[in-house]
Formats: sequence, C-alpha cells, structure tokens
Amino acid sequence: MSLALRLAAREMRGGIGGFRVLILCLALGVAAIAAVGTLRAAINAGLADQGAVILGGDAELSFTYRRADRAETDWIATHSRASSEVIGFRSLAVAGQDQALTEVKAVDGNWPLLGQVELSQGTLAEAFAVQDGLPGAIMEPLLADRLGLKPGDRFKMGTQAFRLSALMLSQPDSATSGIGFAPKTVVRTEALAESGLLAPGSMYESHYRLLTGAELGGLRHQAENAFGPKGMEWADRRHAARGVEAFVNRLGSFLILVGLAGLAVGGVGVASAVRAWMEARVATMATLKVLGAAGRLVAGVYLVQVAAVVVLGTALGLGLGAGGMALAMPLIAGALPFPVETGLFPGALAEAAFYGLLTGFLFALWPLAQALRQGAAAIYRGARRVWPATPWLVLQALLLAALIGGAAWFSGNWRLTLGTLGGVGAVLLVLWGAGFGLARAARRLARSPLVNGRPGLRLALAAIGGPRSEAMAVVLSLGLGLSVLAVVGQIDANFRLAIQRDLPGKAPSFFFIDLQPDQLQPFLHRMSGDPAVHKVESAAMLRGTLMTINGEDARKVAGNHWVVTGDRGISLADTLPPGTEITAGQWWPQGYDGPGQVSFAAQEAKEIGLKLGDKLGLNILGRDIEVTVTSFRKVDFTNAGMGFVMIVDQNALKGAPYTAIATVYADPAAEAGLLREAARTWPNITAISVKEAIAKVVEALTAIATATVAAAGAVLVVGLVVLVGAVSAGVPARVREASVLKVLGATRGAILASFALRAGLMGAAAGLVAVAAGAVGGWAVLTQVMELPFVFEPVSAALIVAGGVVVTLVAGLVFAAVPISARPAGVLRTLEG
Amino acid sequence: MDILTLKGVGLTLQGNAGPVEILRGIDLNVKAGESLALIGPSGSGKSSLLMLMAGLERASTGTVSALGQDLGAMDEDGLARFRRGRMGVVFQSFHLIPTMTALENVAVPLEIAGEARAAERAAEELAAVGLVARTGHYPAQMSGGEQQRVALARASAGRPKLLLADEPTGNLDQANGAAIMDLLFGLRDRHGATLVMVTHAAELAARCDRVVRMADGRLA
Repeated sequence: MSLALRLAAREMRGGIGGFRVLILCLALGVAAIAAVGTLRAAINAGLADQGAVILGGDAELSFTYRRADRAETDWIATHSRASSEVIGFRSLAVAGQDQALTEVKAVDGNWPLLGQVELSQGTLAEAFAVQDGLPGAIMEPLLADRLGLKPGDRFKMGTQAFRLSALMLSQPDSATSGIGFAPKTVVRTEALAESGLLAPGSMYESHYRLLTGAELGGLRHQAENAFGPKGMEWADRRHAARGVEAFVNRLGSFLILVGLAGLAVGGVGVASAVRAWMEARVATMATLKVLGAAGRLVAGVYLVQVAAVVVLGTALGLGLGAGGMALAMPLIAGALPFPVETGLFPGALAEAAFYGLLTGFLFALWPLAQALRQGAAAIYRGARRVWPATPWLVLQALLLAALIGGAAWFSGNWRLTLGTLGGVGAVLLVLWGAGFGLARAARRLARSPLVNGRPGLRLALAAIGGPRSEAMAVVLSLGLGLSVLAVVGQIDANFRLAIQRDLPGKAPSFFFIDLQPDQLQPFLHRMSGDPAVHKVESAAMLRGTLMTINGEDARKVAGNHWVVTGDRGISLADTLPPGTEITAGQWWPQGYDGPGQVSFAAQEAKEIGLKLGDKLGLNILGRDIEVTVTSFRKVDFTNAGMGFVMIVDQNALKGAPYTAIATVYADPAAEAGLLREAARTWPNITAISVKEAIAKVVEALTAIATATVAAAGAVLVVGLVVLVGAVSAGVPARVREASVLKVLGATRGAILASFALRAGLMGAAAGLVAVAAGAVGGWAVLTQVMELPFVFEPVSAALIVAGGVVVTLVAGLVFAAVPISARPAGVLRTLEG
Repeated sequence: MDILTLKGVGLTLQGNAGPVEILRGIDLNVKAGESLALIGPSGSGKSSLLMLMAGLERASTGTVSALGQDLGAMDEDGLARFRRGRMGVVFQSFHLIPTMTALENVAVPLEIAGEARAAERAAEELAAVGLVARTGHYPAQMSGGEQQRVALARASAGRPKLLLADEPTGNLDQANGAAIMDLLFGLRDRHGATLVMVTHAAELAARCDRVVRMADGRLA
C-alpha cells in the first residue's frame, strides 16, 4: 500500500463523522437523479417491450378524414397476416337528459389484434352483439357514471341508439393517443352506418393496424413512398407511443437537470464540509510538512480520504434512488396509463453516479486545493484563503467541462442542458452576490446609528455581517430550491390567471363540429335568435397538411414549426370573414375562380419565412392542390376562438367534402339548455365544451407542475441538509456568544430573539432573491416561450419568502436550544482551557 | 460597607466520575472600593469562586450576596439583569464576540442596559484604553493585548460597582500584562469600583489592598 494510502487509512480510523453532511448532500442529490432516471428508463423499457400491444399491431397506417382507399387496403392485405381497422372521432353520448362528450373508437371484428380488453362482464363478442335491434357498445366507467348508465341501459350517439353491454376496465392500445379530451366508447364500425356520424367531411381518423413479420424499416419506406403524398402517417412498434415517449424523455431530462441543480446546492454543502474538515486537519497537515512530507504526499493523503467519502455518498445515493424506486414502482405503475417495466436500469444509475462523482469532486477539490497550497508555517499561523495552484484549477475546469458535456450527452439536448445549467449557474451567481451583499449591508447597518439602542438587532446584523457568517451558506443552500419553486409558482399562477380571468370573457362556450353544409344555416339561425347567445361564428373547415413551400419539402424549409408538423385545420371562404384584419397583400375578389389562393396567419408566416407570392403545396383528403400566398392576416390563437392558419379560396377546394365548425358564445346559465337542444335537433354534430377542454389542459399542466415541484422539493431537501449542516456547525460559536452575552447582562429571551432575528433575516433574504429569480424566470418563460403576458403574482411570492423565513427560523431555533440553555460558567471555563 | 458577602458557600459540580466538590465552607466579605486578589495553586477553586461572585455559577450550599442582593434568589435572567451596570467581568481569554468590531463589543453591554449613547460611550471607553485607531477592527484582527484592552473597556463601560477579573494577564506577555494591569487599576480608581481579581502572579496580587489565598476549595 502506498504511503499516502496508509496515512489516509490511519486518519480515517477516527471515523467519518465530519463528513455526514457531505455524504447526505451527495446521497440525496444522486438518489433524486437515480430515481427520475430509473422511472424514465422503466417507462421507455415498458413502451419498447409492449410496443406492439400498445400500438395495437406491429405497424399502423393512419389517415385523416378518410378511410383507406382500394390501393391502400390492397397493400395492407398483401403485407400483413392480419389487420384491423379502427376509426376514432368525438361525439356526444346522450342518455335521457344527460349528455357527455366521448371519444368514440369504431372497430372491426379483428380488434384488438394484440392484448386483451378487460370488461366488467361477458366477452367482447357478446358485448358488440345486436340484441333487440340495438347494437352493443362498451364505455369507460367514468363516462357511464357521468351519464348515470349501467350495463343493459340504452344511449344514443348521433341518430343511432346503443345498448351499454359492459364497462371497459382496460384496453391494450390506450397509450398511443395523446391527452384524451373525453372518456372512450367502443362500438363496431358497422353499427354507425345509420348514425350520421361518419358522413363525408366529418372529423375522424382511420387507423389500420397490421400484424406482419416483415422488416419494419423497409415496410415503412414502401408505405411512405406509396401513400405518404396522400397524407398517410406511419407508426410501428419500435416507437409505438412516440408522443408519450418524447414527453417522458423530455420531462425526464428536465427533471434530471433540476436534480442536477439539487446536486449543485449539495455541492455547497460538500465544499463547506471539506473546508471545515481540512481546517480541523491544519495541524496534522503542517506537522506532516514539518516532518518532510512533500506536497504530493500530503495531497495524496487527503485526496484519498475525500475520494472515499465522495464515492461513499454517491453509492449511498444510488442505493437510495434504486431501492426507493423499486418500492414505489408498483404504485407508480398502477397510476400510469402505459406499461412500466420494473427492474434495475444500469444506464440510469450510471448517469446518476456520473453526476454525483463529478459534482462531489468539483466542489470538494477547491477547499482541498486551497488548504494544500498553504505552507507549513502559514498553516500554524492560521490559514488564509488562497487560490488553488494552477494544476488544480485546470483539473476543476476539466471536471466542469466534463459535467456540462456529460449532462448534454445524457439529455441529448444541448439547448435544454445549457439553458437549465446556465440558469442554475446564473441563479447561483446571483445568490452568491446576494449572500455577499446581505453580509455587507448587515455589516454597515450594524454600525449605523439606526440600530442604536437595539442590541438584539445589532447582534443579529453583526452575526450576519461578521467573520464566519452563515449568510452565504443559508442564502446559497435555500435560495436555489426556493428559486425553482418561485419560477414554477409564477408560471403556474400566470397560466391559471390567463385561463380563469382572460379566457372566460373572450372564449366561446362551445365548439360545434361536424355541421353538415345543409345544417349550417338552420343552426346559425337558431343560435343567433337565442337571447342568451351573444355571438356565433362559423367557418367551413377541413383538415390538410402543408407539404411543400415553393416546391421544397415544407419540413426542410420551416424546420419543426408546428404549422408543418401535422395536419392543420384549413378554412375556405369566398368573402373576407367579418373582423379579419389583413396585414399585407389583398383578399381575393368575391366569386373568384382563378388559380388557388391562400391567406396565411401573419405571425406564423413570419416565423417560417413566407412572403407574398410563395407557392404552397397542400394535401387535403389525399388530394394535392397548389395555392399562392396572396395575403397575410392577424390571427389571435390565445382566446380559444376561431383561428385558422390558412384560409383557401372556395374555388380551390371545389367539390371537397367539408363540414362547418361554429363557435357559440353564450351565458353560462344557458349553456346546458343550448347543448341539449342542439343534440336533439342535430344528433350528428358534436359540441366540445371549451371549459372542459381547458380543464383537461390545466390538468395536464398541473401534473407537469407537480412533477417539477417534486423535483424542486428534492433541491430544497438537499438545501435543508446544507442549511442544517451550516447552522449546526455554528452551534459552538453561538454557545460561546450566548454565554458572553449572559455575562454582559442579556436575558435568554433577548438572546433567543436575536438568534431568531438573524435566522429570519437570512431566510427572508434567500426568499427575496428566489422571488426575484422567480419573476425573471417566469417572465422569460411566459413572454419569450409561451408568448403570454406576465403579471407578477404576489401570493406565491409571499409564500416563498415566508417559506424561507420559516425554514431558517425553525433550523435556527432548533439549534438555539443548546446555546440558550448552556451555563455560561461551564462554557467559559472550558474555553479558558 | 460590604459589597460582597459569602456565607458558608460550597460548590459541587457533577463530573464524569461523579460529583466533585470544588468549594467548601467559604466565608468572605469584600468591602466597597476594596481591591482583593485571590491566589492559590491551579484547581484550588479561585475561578469558580469568582464565577459565584458574578452569579454565573450557583452555590450548592450557603449564600452569595452582591450589592445587598441574594444572588441565589434570582433566576438566570434575573442575574443577567442584575449584572447590567453593576458588574464588569474580564476573562483570561478575553471572550470578545468575534462577529463584532471592537466598538460594537464595547457598546453591547451599554445597549443591553438601554443606554442611549452607547456608541459614543463605547468610543470614549476605547479611547481610555488607547484603542482609538482600532474601533472598526474585529477581534481576529487584533493582538492579544489589544483584545484584552477591548475586554477591559467593555467591562468598565457600564461604570460597574464591582469589577471581577479572572487572570486578566494570563494569556499575555510581561509587557502587555503590565500595561493591562495599569489600565485595570486605573479604571478601578477612576470609577471607584471594587476589584476582585484571580491571579497567579504575586507582583500583581501585591498591588491589591488584600490578598486571599485558596487551597483545595477553601480559604487558606
């Protein structure tokens, strides 16, 4: 064993008590990252393993507003050993006076190709069987509850009556759809023949699932070449739930980066612990040097010990994270709508270990290198803060670069990594500045005449501003966690504010979809004649995909802009719709029947670089048309009203089966009555309550906010450990201080009040900095990313400041018990030594 | 008139190996304006006796009265209030508050006592011990001699009637020790205070009006 190792082992015989905070900081940070990484890996593994089941087949071809044509069905038959057609659309289920929006899945006899449907009673064949002239249907229990239905009862969709034969407890292919706006109902497609729901132009999607042994890459290539230009979308079992997968990966990466922020806070605790530990070893180090130990040997002795505790803390964190997730996984798996595979995921643990080790060393090496740079005599005289020697600085820089590079590599997203880590770095810098500023301000204030006659306040200020102040540790440790909470609080509050205050005033009560052209006039007449209805807007609508811009692939020209990433609602009009503002170019003349023209949303056109005269290739219901951009319009997408990126002249889409969409703005009290009447008069049309749709979006956003708050909570817990470490390290100094103050005539109450005041001031400072960071972060996300106005939200801000005060106060007062109760004579006698 | 009266005072403290009898049967009177030196070998109980006089330790038996008040009848906070403006204590290790400057250290007892001109008075006290130039310095930035001078200024700032000093020169070299003693006696003379001092140094004891020797927890 080398001498350094031997000496290190001898030193460590005394235990690692001084490293408790370091180990806990690292372990908690690593555990949080390991837990998030494990969950992400478990979901991805579940999705990969069950890909075919949750997709409903090995591959899927999807079409919008149409079913596969002859060529396509032939191709499917040729390339599969079995296939199944599933049609999805939204409708109103009506039972007596009750009605509710439902997502309908119309299936054929082969559904499901894979997996099992779990029903409350009977078999699937029995469930769909026609009894007493009524076809069977199954629905999710939530919808049955909402409509007050039980198996055996009847309900209607469109003009078709159904018998609820069983409740659908689970279905295998539920994870492939995105946010569901409504609970599901499953029926046989042939039962809808007379319902009027699948009329030409109705808004539906058809999916064709295939079981095939063919190589999926080649099959995809073939299908896309043949049917891509006709609007076919491809999916296969390799990435069955692409949306879920992308969401889980992005949220997982973000949460891991927030966890990394927790490790950064833990790093503050690591640095403090190593500094305190090195200070306690000053004499040993000096003695080693006096005895002739070279700098390398001394460095080796202490580096070995620091490395041992960093590895121990990281290993403990991995165990905690993996073990915790193993215990929690059954609960989590039960709550998620997609399969989760349990087990150990070495990749996730390796990522957490990488972060733990690098952060641990990054923060531990600085104070170690500082101490090592002191000469023996200087150490005996008392350590001064010096810069580490150049090789150590280079090593630190390399560690930092490796940490950032590794984080980017693991997350697979440089922008997200640099944005998050840059933000964390900036907040840490601001917090450091705030801690420094707080100490300076307290020092100045302690000497100001303003505090004359207030010894408690002067004591508190002097302690915050004096040597060995805890201010920096408190502000740094608490500040970052509170900052993340403050950002989430501001964004969340602003978002809710926008929805609750702004939308109800401007947003319509309902969207009515699938209005057939001949139903539009009677519908508008009925609605506008109702005194409870303030406004009705309608537009012809069909869906299409922007395929090319000036002959080039639109995705290549516009990147991943949302306008080109899928099919969009396209309206057609002859005259300029009322209230439309043209910002450039000219609207076509009434009755225009020349080459196709399109009016494009001005802001979106600017974002993808469109100019007047550009030629756009659109695919609408499998048909390619070319239109020229002749005007730009101002469109407001924030009020949930009617807004189309593209309006095409009526002649360009002559003969296309379109439907109309209408928005109705009505008194809230009259909404239920209007809905009932509309459903009775026009059974085929579907009403979507804007309030319910928004509630669904808010629900999804709340889940994301909750996950972020949980990650911020992990940062706060690590911060608390650092805080407790800092406060507990200050106990001996406070014992001495309290004893001296008692000698000078201070009562225990006065001393306690002074301790509380200093803790409260430091907590308030951390909270105020966090609120400022929250305001800046919230403003940036809302105005720059979400393009929403930002209003500073005082309630969550006040809670953050109060939280900072309470946490420091509690920590301060818990550790004040010893100093307050210490008997001065005993303390001072010990110190006289 | 007696400013300090100790009758049958005993002190037993709980040690790791059981109770330890530190002081036994101490009877002592100290007159107002008198200077008294407590001398004796290490462990004889001098510092403990001084702590009892300051009300920082509570007698196990007997009574301790200072300025006519029975210290045993007061609780910890009552004792703290009693010390304000009446007692000044100087320690061998100075016991300055490290987070405060010299001026702030001296001002603290005055502020605690509710003195309106605490800062000005503290500055005057520091000037009296020759530390005008060090008012803004922290204890760690001062030498031992300077720190003890700040401690002296702090002890005398409230014009106490009783000055208690526990080996005030114990941590200082000879020159600094002599300077501190000159200051201590000078302050005592200026304010007319009673001085009780624990010391090992015979020449310092000799400067006091009376010398009391202790051995094995008793007055010899």
